[in-house]
Amino acid sequence: MAEALLQVDNLSKRYGALVAVDNVSMQVGEGEVRAVIGPNGAGKTTLFHLITGVVPPSTGSVRFAGSDITRLPSHAICQRGLSRTFQLTSLFPQMSARENAMLAAQARHPKRWMPFGGASVFAQARATGEAALAQLGLSRIADRPAGLLSHGDQRLLEVAMAMAQEPKVLLLDEPTQGLSVEETAEAVETLAQFLAKARLTVLLVEHDMEVVFRLAHRITVLHRGAVIADGPPAIVKANARVQEAYLGGME
Amino acid sequence: MPKTNPLPALAGVAVLGLLMAAPFGLPVFAMTLLTELLILGLFAMSLDLMVGYTNLVSFGHTAAYGLGAYASGYMLLNSSLPLPFVVLLAALLTGVVAIGVGWVCTLATGVSFSMLTLAFAQLLYAIAFKWTSVTGGSDGLAGIPRRAGPFGLTIFTSKMGFYYFALACLLGAFFICRALVRSPFGTVLHGIRQNEAKTLVLGYNTRLYKIAVVAIAYALGGLAGALYAPFAGFANTELLFWLLSGQVLIMVIVGGQGTLIGPILGAGFFMLLEHQLSSYTEAWALFFGLIFIAFVLFAPEGIWGLARRLFARRGLPAETRHG
Amino acid sequence: MGVAQDPANVGRMSTLALLLTQGVNALSQAALLFFLGVGLTLIFGIMRIVNFAHGTLYMLGAFIGYSLVRYAGSYWLALLLAPLAVGAIGTAFELGILRRLYRRDAHAFLMVTFGLALVTGEAVRLIWGSDALQVPSPALLSGVVFLMDEPFPVYRLFLIGFGVIVAIAMWQLLERTRLGLLIRATSQNAEMVHALGVDVKLVRSGVFGIGCGLAALGGVLAAPLVTAAHGMAATAVIDAFVIVIIGGMGSFLGSLIGALLVAFVQVFGNYYLPDFALAFMYLVMLLVLVVRPGGLLGKEA
Repeated sequence: MAEALLQVDNLSKRYGALVAVDNVSMQVGEGEVRAVIGPNGAGKTTLFHLITGVVPPSTGSVRFAGSDITRLPSHAICQRGLSRTFQLTSLFPQMSARENAMLAAQARHPKRWMPFGGASVFAQARATGEAALAQLGLSRIADRPAGLLSHGDQRLLEVAMAMAQEPKVLLLDEPTQGLSVEETAEAVETLAQFLAKARLTVLLVEHDMEVVFRLAHRITVLHRGAVIADGPPAIVKANARVQEAYLGGME
Repeated sequence: MPKTNPLPALAGVAVLGLLMAAPFGLPVFAMTLLTELLILGLFAMSLDLMVGYTNLVSFGHTAAYGLGAYASGYMLLNSSLPLPFVVLLAALLTGVVAIGVGWVCTLATGVSFSMLTLAFAQLLYAIAFKWTSVTGGSDGLAGIPRRAGPFGLTIFTSKMGFYYFALACLLGAFFICRALVRSPFGTVLHGIRQNEAKTLVLGYNTRLYKIAVVAIAYALGGLAGALYAPFAGFANTELLFWLLSGQVLIMVIVGGQGTLIGPILGAGFFMLLEHQLSSYTEAWALFFGLIFIAFVLFAPEGIWGLARRLFARRGLPAETRHG
Repeated sequence: MGVAQDPANVGRMSTLALLLTQGVNALSQAALLFFLGVGLTLIFGIMRIVNFAHGTLYMLGAFIGYSLVRYAGSYWLALLLAPLAVGAIGTAFELGILRRLYRRDAHAFLMVTFGLALVTGEAVRLIWGSDALQVPSPALLSGVVFLMDEPFPVYRLFLIGFGVIVAIAMWQLLERTRLGLLIRATSQNAEMVHALGVDVKLVRSGVFGIGCGLAALGGVLAAPLVTAAHGMAATAVIDAFVIVIIGGMGSFLGSLIGALLVAFVQVFGNYYLPDFALAFMYLVMLLVLVVRPGGLLGKEA
């Protein structure tokens, strides 16, 4: 069987006696939008940390586009084409939204480290950054300092920054976290539209089921660090174990 | 990108003109003070690169100063190399050593980083005392000559010539730093300063950038020290004492971190206190410390930062970005 | 440093005697370092800040001790009053200045305590001059005691004893008394303690003062051994930091372990490789920072 674009095999993370991620295996194909769901503490964010090199795994491996990325440092993994957002918004508060996106875009430029001049680097970063902002409807606030944006815009800016890196795989950790109902609806629509157009491979952690069903092609369900279900939304929805894990079934 | 506004540039040219013309108008003792200001200003500005632009607070920057001073002093005493060459070589040596220092210190972050820089400066201080054959021990190196330049040019042996050389070094360093902070490299430093974790996640190997900044900052600090040795005629362990590390940090904070010009003003402020207040009271250094605390509490952006904010409020457009 | 370190004597001493002598040196050094480290770790535990002025306050303690011995004639008085005086200064500093910074970032604290270090250092220089000052140990504790034909300075044995007593007393205070409970609770969850109606600000001011007083106590105790000098401050703050890093920021037991470790490395390192002692210290600090950023028993990574 041909290897998937993102191949996770028997990935585990133990903190002493606590098993945060328990023998997780997943295959994410190119162009797929995969949602990872589960109750609080199921290990979803830890799984992201393991895949993106923020935390080293206890056992198991992660392979991307055929090569092993398990032990690579996080910045190296990002350079390979995996960009992610975080649950807790993390931006450059004193820089404008545009500058945030530009810094993200600059990271993929081969001459990002140039100690003088850099007009061409900046020009390219600007073009890519502004395009990413536009894709997420943030052009109107491009000049505003990121620290002063609304929470919803900040969440979208995080996604824009990940997009500005023109990644092969996008990992979104609860993009609608902390958003109001209207903001969530808007954000989901925006995301849905550009995901359809971009044909990106996406790994999505979400709590909000509406969002999951609107965006995901496939769902992986985690419970206490282990995979308890994996399949298309309709099938997962009907899975008894999943319903049990969520205490009383899903809507 | 900073908005183009002619005022800062015009002011800069005016100041430069004054500095260039200074030797023709000022009495000798003022020239000595001015030269000292250039050297101290360079020292402080080099630290700003670490503190103000990358949030790497060093408590041991005098290690660079001392290293540069001893290197240039030793070379001037024990070889016949021309002065400008010695000064630049000493700066380069300091920068090379600093790569190692940076590599070690950046293994830690935050307070631990600061402590490691202090520890390294202390180590150098101890070595300076013990390695008597090279450093002259507690007596230090004395009688450091201002050697002639290449091709027998004696211009550097005169006060005026040396002043212009120091001015050239400061200007050169200033333009290097300015270009650096406006470049893609500099943008990454801004990112590290505001949110290092995010910068790392975006794919930048932040540790390498930090090591590079430490190396450059130490090299420029070493340049200042290398100028000091022939200026004062001596190099001793006082140049490596932790008090000086503290004072230069204060110059950066009080003058205005993250502005390059601010620290030079801070150095000037320090010298003003040192030379003016010292005639009234021995406690001038104490006042300097108290003023520092006041600035940290009430005006953390420093003198230059305050000035820029005032200009912005009055409607005169200030630059939108650092430097 | 005494008979024990005279190279001419080395051949004459048995290994056991050597170990005993150096062991006593190390333990007495550990006692001094303990006072330094425990104060810093207490302050960090409660306030999450590194008190950069710690080394300077240690030095201040030594100099105040000198004056009290010289002018009041009593070492014991110095032992009591110097820590109280410095503790009071520390509390005043916290009340007047540190309080304003609780909403700011960690760097502001570092800078301000650094400013305190500078101001205090300069004040010491102004009041006592730039020279090192000899502080005589009290008559009761001078002289030597002979064990296995080797002389042991009484003062060092006193340091060890005193250190043990204070360590036990502090341990009991932290574990068994209400004050100790309050301190431990505040260091773990200040908000909860505040919600329970305790004035957390008062606890902070108090602990900061105690921490500073402990540093000064270390200084007074150290003075007869090392003389009161200006280089003390920088070495002391680094030592204190290394101890706290090794033992873990905020851990009482950790500061004890750290003090012992550092003291033994320093003393034995100084004996066998005197020129490399400082570099060795630097290396140990580095190793710990790299391997376990949180220290062996620490709270913060």
